[in-house]
Amino acid sequence: MSRWRAILASVLRESRAARGRLVFFTACLAIGVAAVVGISALVAAVDGGMREQSRDLLAADLRISARRPLPDALQTSFAAVPHVRADVRELAAMARATSRSDAEDTSGTTRLVELKVVEPTYPLYGELVLAPAQCTTADLAEGTVFVGPELVAGLGVHVGDELDIGGAHFRIAAEIVDEPDRLDFALTLGPRVFMSFEGLARTELGAGHNRVRYRAGYRLPGMGRGELTALVERLRTELQDPSYLQFRTRDNAQPSVRRALGRVENYLGLVALLSLLLGGIGVSQIVRAWLSGRTQSVAVLRCLGLRARQIAGMYLGHVALLAVAGCVVGGALGAALPPLVRVLAPELFQGSEAHLWQPLAIVRGVGLGLFVATVFSLPPLTAVWRVSPAAVLRAEAVPLPVPLVVRVGAPLVLVLSVLLSARVQGGTWWTAASFSGGLLLLVALLYAGARGATALSGRLPRGRFGPYVEHGLAALARPGAGTTGAIVALGLGVMVVVAMILIEGQLDEALRTALPEEAPSVFIVDVQPDQWDGVRGTLDTRGAEAIDSVPVVMARLRAIDGRAVSELATEARADRRATWVYTREQRLTWLTELPADNEVTAGAPDGELWSLSGTDEVSLEVDFADDLGVGLGSRLRFDVQGVPIELTVTSLREVDWQSFGINFFLVVEPGVLEEAPHFRIAAARLEPPAAEFALQSELASAYPNVTMLRVRPILEKIANAMTRIAAFVRALGGFTIAAGLVILAGAVATTATSRAREAALLKSLGVTRAGVTCLFAIEYALGGLVAGAIGATGALVLAWAFLEYLLELDADVRLAAVPLGALAAAVLASASGLSASLRALRARPMETLRG
Amino acid sequence: MTHNPQIECIGVGKTLPSGARTLTILEGVDLSIDAGELVAILGPSGSGKSTLLGLLAGLDRPTTGSVRLAGNALEELGEDELALLRRARVGFVFQSFQLLANLTARENVLVPLELTGVEDAAARADAALDEVGLAERGHHYPSQLSGGEQQRVALARAFAPRPAVLFADEPTGNLDSDTGTRILELILDLRERHGTTLVLVTHDREIAARAERQVHLFGGRIERDTGTAAKPAPGPARDRA
Repeated sequence: MSRWRAILASVLRESRAARGRLVFFTACLAIGVAAVVGISALVAAVDGGMREQSRDLLAADLRISARRPLPDALQTSFAAVPHVRADVRELAAMARATSRSDAEDTSGTTRLVELKVVEPTYPLYGELVLAPAQCTTADLAEGTVFVGPELVAGLGVHVGDELDIGGAHFRIAAEIVDEPDRLDFALTLGPRVFMSFEGLARTELGAGHNRVRYRAGYRLPGMGRGELTALVERLRTELQDPSYLQFRTRDNAQPSVRRALGRVENYLGLVALLSLLLGGIGVSQIVRAWLSGRTQSVAVLRCLGLRARQIAGMYLGHVALLAVAGCVVGGALGAALPPLVRVLAPELFQGSEAHLWQPLAIVRGVGLGLFVATVFSLPPLTAVWRVSPAAVLRAEAVPLPVPLVVRVGAPLVLVLSVLLSARVQGGTWWTAASFSGGLLLLVALLYAGARGATALSGRLPRGRFGPYVEHGLAALARPGAGTTGAIVALGLGVMVVVAMILIEGQLDEALRTALPEEAPSVFIVDVQPDQWDGVRGTLDTRGAEAIDSVPVVMARLRAIDGRAVSELATEARADRRATWVYTREQRLTWLTELPADNEVTAGAPDGELWSLSGTDEVSLEVDFADDLGVGLGSRLRFDVQGVPIELTVTSLREVDWQSFGINFFLVVEPGVLEEAPHFRIAAARLEPPAAEFALQSELASAYPNVTMLRVRPILEKIANAMTRIAAFVRALGGFTIAAGLVILAGAVATTATSRAREAALLKSLGVTRAGVTCLFAIEYALGGLVAGAIGATGALVLAWAFLEYLLELDADVRLAAVPLGALAAAVLASASGLSASLRALRARPMETLRG
Repeated sequence: MTHNPQIECIGVGKTLPSGARTLTILEGVDLSIDAGELVAILGPSGSGKSTLLGLLAGLDRPTTGSVRLAGNALEELGEDELALLRRARVGFVFQSFQLLANLTARENVLVPLELTGVEDAAARADAALDEVGLAERGHHYPSQLSGGEQQRVALARAFAPRPAVLFADEPTGNLDSDTGTRILELILDLRERHGTTLVLVTHDREIAARAERQVHLFGGRIERDTGTAAKPAPGPARDRA
């Protein structure tokens, strides 16, 4: 016990003269820990709020939904279960303001809306908040609707005004303030409109409307979690085709949002980890510089009979003690993020304020911070083993060999620890391995670049750049200057931020200009075959170009090569995409020739898409075929509204989806589906965009069941969402730059004594204070320039690869990023380096030279 | 009294790399020092005195030959075993004091005792400081002490663990002559009291004269050993007067 007390006491003693170290140590770690804690706390706060509000988010204990009317058998299954049921139907429709009577509609009196048809029992939980406040769902008569604020703003309508939806008139009875089972940040097609089932019956939005979601909410009084799970299991076995039904319980409301949140946490968590790891590099630098000034002490301690590992342990304890300070400061900063975001973006938070305080996130960040600080100080601590006790007699005593286990162990522990931290932050081993591998590679490249640049700076011919620049160049190459580590760290920071700016800019541009010249700007869906000629005529009179239209037959996939799809879907239940591919409503069309944006990659010999064989043939999009696990010759059995059809796969196609043309996963040979019930889908291009509004209004009044989608606003919505995410990542990337700068300042500060001596000498030789400042500024700026140039070049490659290969966009290589990044880094480095040298610059030469 | 060699070295040599060449510091040194003996190692600068002391104390390893300290062949011991041996048997005093700057005088004495697990570390440290007359200055940092005081702290630190052998490398080299004399008296007095073997490296003939035996080094070789007339080194056992 006394031994431990002695070690602790010696650690405390060693910490006495550590004020300068403490500042940089704290800064290095605090930034990374703040980022880790902040992200973790923010996600936990959002998630906690969602869990608390889970039942409200579902507005039920159990919700069953499907793309087709729910089976009647549900009533039998619930016969013995006490319950209240509330049915909801959701579909897209066009809403037209009829109280406004613009002769020619250019600004738009028509909007695509998300219609929600509800029963008076809705919501079973939570509250539908309306204005005026006394309104409830019970007030939703057959001729009234409630509308969302975006519609009020978009159409300029108010409570009491009239809307035309699906060919029937409705009076706006209230404005929706808050809807329990809808998340504000979900991507939506249009504003919300509430309607009663009686109201829906008055419209023409009945049969033939193909994107309806049917939901049944159940309130199950007194039913526990276990019983609820058992009930769902029973329903899955009792009901026919359960894989076409989606079950949500109050314990798992909004699983897709929560999954998305999990992914966000993982990705942002890794970006946060990056700044913490940079902090680790800083810690490593500080420990290295500190120990190099402790050689004599180490030698004395070894003389006195202390083993190297005891001395290293003592210093490690000191590191941990300093790290605690940094972690506590970072933890406090990070913990302040959720309340701050609540003020800036209140729509992210559901539930009570209690979720803003996330102690587990703090523990995680602080723990990770301590861990990173400790493992990053291991490699420099191996220097303790190299110090010969004979150094007390001769400064130039030959260093001792470091034992193999220490020499190999320290970096190995470091690499494994990075992997482990990435696993903690990234969620999976695969993510952790790719993150660590990528980081290792980047660090290696930056290191090589930094070493190359410093070596080169030492070899440049003298007498060309003037004394100030040459002194700066020489300083880069000075042994033990600690510049390599600082350049690596700063370069990584620059790389992250510049890459984010490049990706964000190009992505935004790509999304905004995603529409190729000849791409359609509107899609018209749910056109009944007998309406097509009329719709076509309207399009022609409105000057629409590139009008394209195809028939669509809705079907369900029943079997693949004789195996029932319900069986395959049950097997693949864990794989959500596979389940979706099997159980989605399949849209089939028939075509004689493929459109230009399709390219056959397999099958269809002799260039003929359809052969003359007796079988009914189908052509599959190649990725869809992969998802289904089928290939040429596979037999697919479909149920086309009660009629079974067996098709053989005879070709596979690649589709250029970026053409925005009408395309299908499944294209069937002509002559098979013509008699099946179908509707038409059309695409057309209208110029200028304002013409779209006029077309929208005309179609909405003439064909109330028809829905028109405008492509531009949807792309804009996606672009805006991406911009918000990218801005967040860039802000986090800023943390990595800050970490890099702190490390640079730290590297400068650890050489403070020699800096001060250098400054004093120069001053005593007649250089003015301004001159010395200039010398130092140039030296730091050169370091920043190298870091910025290497980092920005890396960012260029990273962004290009990301856009080109991951997003498959045609990426520009914006070479200007390199000089701009280098310049920005030079300015920042110069500023942070000078601020760390202030004391050395201020000191009077005599004070310093006397020691 | 039986001959009882505390330190023995046979054919010890030390070379150091110096650029492309190797520099010979010591060559063929044979020496045996008995328990309780006071030996001064003399010689001009660069004659290899400090190097020899480092080798005898196990701080460094010879290039050739063998050193035995308290019966242990040092070349057979690992770094950790050497550390343990030093901890148990050996004390040091250096020309430049080698105090830890961020520890107080008392802590400089106390820390090694604590870290090596001595039971009554605090009491021993206080007693040691008392012995060198610095009981009242224990809370001062090395920078607040004069050179002589710092060397006294170093002596307290060296004698506190009660080492069998004390190696002193020019212990008065950084001090003025009066202070130096007082420090030397103190070393000899402590040595007398604790019965410690003392190996003293110095280039000062006056100081060397206080030793019962003088070993003269020149150019890395033993030029003269006043002990070898009666006692060949290494030689058969002999009775010590």
